[in-house]
Amino acid sequence: MAHIEIEGRRIEVNEEGFLAHPEEWTEETARLLAKAEEGLDGLTAEHWAVVKFIRDYYLEKNLAPMVRKMCQATGFPLMKIYDLFPSGPAKGACKVAGLPKPDGCV
Amino acid sequence: MKRRKTTPSGVVEAPLDPRTQVRAKEEGLPSVNEGRLRTYEPGDNVRRFLGLLSSRITRSLAVSLTACVHCGLCAESCHYFLARPDDPTMTPVWKADQIRKIFKRHVDWTGRVAPWWVKAGGPRDDEDLNRLKNIVFGSCSACRRCTYNCPMGVDTGLLVRFTRGLLTELGIVPEGVFNVSRDQWETGNQMAVTETDYLETLEWMRDEVRTELGTDAIDIPVDRQGADILYTINPREIKFDPRSIAHAAKIFHTAGESWTLPNWGWDQTNFGLFSGDDKLGAYVARNVYEAAERLRTKRIVISECGHGYRSTRWEGYTWAGYDQKLPTESVVVTLKRYLEDGRIAVDRTRNTEPVTFHDSCNIARSGDLVEEPRDVLRRVCTDFREMFPNRRENFCCTGGGGLLSMAEYRPLRLEVAKIKADQLRATGAELVCTMCHNCVDGLNDVIKHYKLPMRVVQVLELVSNALVVPGTNERTKHRL
Repeated sequence: MAHIEIEGRRIEVNEEGFLAHPEEWTEETARLLAKAEEGLDGLTAEHWAVVKFIRDYYLEKNLAPMVRKMCQATGFPLMKIYDLFPSGPAKGACKVAGLPKPDGCV
Repeated sequence: MKRRKTTPSGVVEAPLDPRTQVRAKEEGLPSVNEGRLRTYEPGDNVRRFLGLLSSRITRSLAVSLTACVHCGLCAESCHYFLARPDDPTMTPVWKADQIRKIFKRHVDWTGRVAPWWVKAGGPRDDEDLNRLKNIVFGSCSACRRCTYNCPMGVDTGLLVRFTRGLLTELGIVPEGVFNVSRDQWETGNQMAVTETDYLETLEWMRDEVRTELGTDAIDIPVDRQGADILYTINPREIKFDPRSIAHAAKIFHTAGESWTLPNWGWDQTNFGLFSGDDKLGAYVARNVYEAAERLRTKRIVISECGHGYRSTRWEGYTWAGYDQKLPTESVVVTLKRYLEDGRIAVDRTRNTEPVTFHDSCNIARSGDLVEEPRDVLRRVCTDFREMFPNRRENFCCTGGGGLLSMAEYRPLRLEVAKIKADQLRATGAELVCTMCHNCVDGLNDVIKHYKLPMRVVQVLELVSNALVVPGTNERTKHRL
């Protein structure tokens, strides 16, 4: 299994950089994943709003939410999601929220 | 990131991971129960593999299995080999030979009479079949550049897809391929988008475009009987990136188009092309064709998607045994017509960044759609520049053949993406435009991995950006 080493921590991820064990996600992991994978230094309240919604949705439904749901829940327009997470909703926001890689053409 | 262990040959050693297959069986999914979606069962898989192989050989496969003279021209056309030039297992001919030797051992008379002479040999156990899986799914993006350059007419892409199809029948497939096939069989679309989610997202995008253009006259119609155009899309557009739907709606509205999306049969992507499963290919393509018939539209238009274009425009009619009654085209062809007929006006000075074009393998090499996107780009950008090689000789984005959904092969994919990265860098462009959603993600991976100062865009986005909407002199403020 691949891993990321950052700030002295070792995080196990799959080959796409998604968390290998999604159940082990913590807010600290999110911060480190955001830094390593999205180049974000620190997460703002807006980042957290998106990340926490995705995380809760995933825990409830075992599924990545559609970007429509992310915008509805946070009140952000679509482009805001891309501004917050450069790799977009799937490879950016879902990754930081510790979800496994969504299936399909992404 | 640490690389997955590879053999000295570079072929990835990924074990078969049947976890989601087991879950699908436990849940009793209809597609599994009815035998449409095959799962892995330990047992006489080698015998079944050989039986399928013998029964499915067609004339074109037989040619590809016997006509190779080992000249090596295919090696120079393959980005896997160009990036790993000391590794013979990366050549298309070696990959094809792994299939060829089974054919020789069990079908062709030469291998039955003198197997040592023609290097014939068959798989002995499931482990060998799994290794074959790692070759045909993991060491090839099915881009068919080798096919295009073969002087003997050997279609290695066809051989790879054929072998993938045999393994799919046995459930010996990467987990990602199984998952997407499952979703497409079960829900009619590859991302398991529900009808409610589909309709809500379309309404959302309609409202966004209404705000942008300041008019309520805009609609994103669903199931409108008798519309001229049936517009079909990639589920990725609904689930994660609906901007392209908004762009299309804005342009269709401005062109005064009569169009509709279908309520069912809207997914033009087709994992049957990647998994080699013609039955899945037929099911998904038929959904689209029947939607057009049901709504009595005059034309099927496919959004920007490479494998969806090839599947729906070319292969699907054969898989489904369906008479093609309507013209089927890419939305880029539709855009070109609008521009030529003056149905839309554009201001190319709104796209001034240098832009290059990446030909999708399934669209250019396998779909013969080459000049149309260039015609459009020249009209909507001020600085369009080719990358080299281009058109039918372009290199794969490295995510083709379904590789984006197979995480286990990603390290090798990104290693051989060096060829694509060099090609992109040499253009000096800031934007790389492609008419394939799969290429968007493939290219984004290459750009991120090789730290290229580029951004990926699609044709619809550039046209939408340059679109002059009557009644507004300036570019609209609220941009998607």
